[in-house]
Amino acid sequence: MAGKSGRTISNVPEKSWRKTLLSWEGILVIVFIAVCIFCMTISPYFTVANVFREMPKYLTEIFLMLPMAYILILGEIDISVGSTVCLAATMACMASNAQTPFVVTIIVSLLVGTLCGLVNGLILTNFTELPPMIVTLSTQIIYRGIAEIALGSGGSVVLSDTAGFKAIGQKLGIIPYIFFLVVILAVIFTVILAKTTFGRSVYAIGSNRLAAYYAGIPVQKYRLIIYTITGLMAGLAGLFMVSVTYGANTTTGDGFEMDAIAMAVFGGISSTGGKGSLIGGIISGFVIIFLRIGLGQINMNSQLILLIIGVLLILAVMLPNIMSRIQAKRKTASVK
Amino acid sequence: MSLPWRNKDRGVKKKMKENNSVFKRITSSREASMVIVLLVLCIIVTILSPSFLTVKSIMDMLKNNAVTMIMALGMLCVLLIGGIDISVGSTLAFSGMAIGMLAKRGIINSTPLLILIAVIVGTICGLLVGLVIAYGKVPPIIATLGFMYIYRAMAYLISNSEWASADALGDFKNFALNKILGINNVIWVMIICYVIFFIVMKWTKTGRKIYAVGSNREAAAISGINTERVELFVYTIMGLLAGLGGALAVSIYASAQPNMFDGEEMDVIASCVLGGVSMSGGRGSVTGVLIGSFLLAVIAKALPLVGISSIAQNTVQGVIILIVIVLNVVTQRMMDRNNLKGREM
Repeated sequence: MAGKSGRTISNVPEKSWRKTLLSWEGILVIVFIAVCIFCMTISPYFTVANVFREMPKYLTEIFLMLPMAYILILGEIDISVGSTVCLAATMACMASNAQTPFVVTIIVSLLVGTLCGLVNGLILTNFTELPPMIVTLSTQIIYRGIAEIALGSGGSVVLSDTAGFKAIGQKLGIIPYIFFLVVILAVIFTVILAKTTFGRSVYAIGSNRLAAYYAGIPVQKYRLIIYTITGLMAGLAGLFMVSVTYGANTTTGDGFEMDAIAMAVFGGISSTGGKGSLIGGIISGFVIIFLRIGLGQINMNSQLILLIIGVLLILAVMLPNIMSRIQAKRKTASVK
Repeated sequence: MSLPWRNKDRGVKKKMKENNSVFKRITSSREASMVIVLLVLCIIVTILSPSFLTVKSIMDMLKNNAVTMIMALGMLCVLLIGGIDISVGSTLAFSGMAIGMLAKRGIINSTPLLILIAVIVGTICGLLVGLVIAYGKVPPIIATLGFMYIYRAMAYLISNSEWASADALGDFKNFALNKILGINNVIWVMIICYVIFFIVMKWTKTGRKIYAVGSNREAAAISGINTERVELFVYTIMGLLAGLGGALAVSIYASAQPNMFDGEEMDVIASCVLGGVSMSGGRGSVTGVLIGSFLLAVIAKALPLVGISSIAQNTVQGVIILIVIVLNVVTQRMMDRNNLKGREM
């Protein structure tokens, strides 16, 4: 009942950004179709079967994008996810090579990821003064460093028994299992973000942390949960990375954090918090994946692909800012 | 209800007062406490390896860390305004690679010109980063994350999967070998940079503007400072120093590779953080950065001596940074609590 007046107030901005979001998602769908056509024209191998065959490697990044969207909506950032993937993949390989049953390997991988996320979360919630970027920057070094220590001087590990990983890398028809998992997780994450109290609280924390705290939202508890789940998803991504590469090395997952952030930001999720929806993030995730597959098929330099994604990331954040600035200027000019 | 709590507090307060003279003097001046830590560390290293305290070994240490130390100055400015730049390692590689390839192809061979080109390339890189952050309103971490990959990719692309070896560099590598007044050129460059920054940050309008923007952006804007221009300036300077670092790095290691100084940004940020520069802006000094980067250099030297292999060095460094930033918060909280107590009675 008390919420009634609040609701009418919040309705005004909500409607307006929902409108812009709808159009942004519309644009994304057009971009997606354009990318498909573009890739088909430049590469003769860009067929449905081939795309599904090459997809698993890139789909792991969607695992990271889903929780990253939550973190960005909180107005924070986690750049340690790439290193968490590396550590989880390394540990999964080592567990598998130690002749443990495959279930244990899965548990090890997920547990390592969850632990990494939990450490991030505990530091950030106990020392709230610390900016997330510097904490995750140092844990990024630490997690990859631990993986480096575990891998030793060789810097890589190769699976001795690939049976278990081959099983999770299987396909149903032409569609790999991981694709179904991504779809299921995407639906879960989207519904939680859009329809539950938890999800709406994330928006509230992102748009005004203090107000959210005074409104009785357990801000720190939610942050801890989100960072831990980010770690869990990174562990899952690590597991599936191994099912693609049958091994791990010190560069596994390098740059994944940028891809995940780029996907989310390109999907219209504000990097300063409080705005955006996962549907846009998921569409833009597939835009980037298709672009990578297409450009990879014509043997484009992998560094050049990184360059393109870097430019896309910056433009995706910068253009809306500049547009709104121009609009604001026009408005003030018309008022005058 | 508040009585037992108060009593307990008073007890704490009494204890604090007894310790005040020593404890407060150390915590009130971060530089003083850092110097003590540095001295203790130096003594430990000297005991473990007596050759540490020779002029030659210290000069070598300075020369090898000069690039990090110079870039830490730029990072100081960036952190002071509450930003961050993780693209510096890539900017360094790009500018270093640019002059490496120019020297290799024999297009330009004069040392001053090559250094100038590296500095210009770095400055342009920094300018772009600054424009995107100051006028595009992109959060610094996202902008520099993007540029980190963009500049690294450009370093790879201009290298054309080659690298410039010592032979290819010709005279350029001698820059890091020659000495003036018994001190290596590279160390001279570093000293000059520190002197300039010390003066600029302490006594000029520009320096004070950077501090003003960092401690309270709105107040700075209202008092007539063009905060966007300050931001642009700071990132440009960061790029300039990264370009200079690129030139020095190519000369010191007598090679230019596209993957050089990968992850260097962490060392640079670590130097600043160890030197007491606040991550949220407004606090930090050139002296602090100098001590911080000394500390990092000595730690790097000490790790192998205490039996930690080079593989683990990254991890240890990361852990040290994490501990230092957490300790910063804890001491800050203690100081705030003490200040409150002073007011309470």
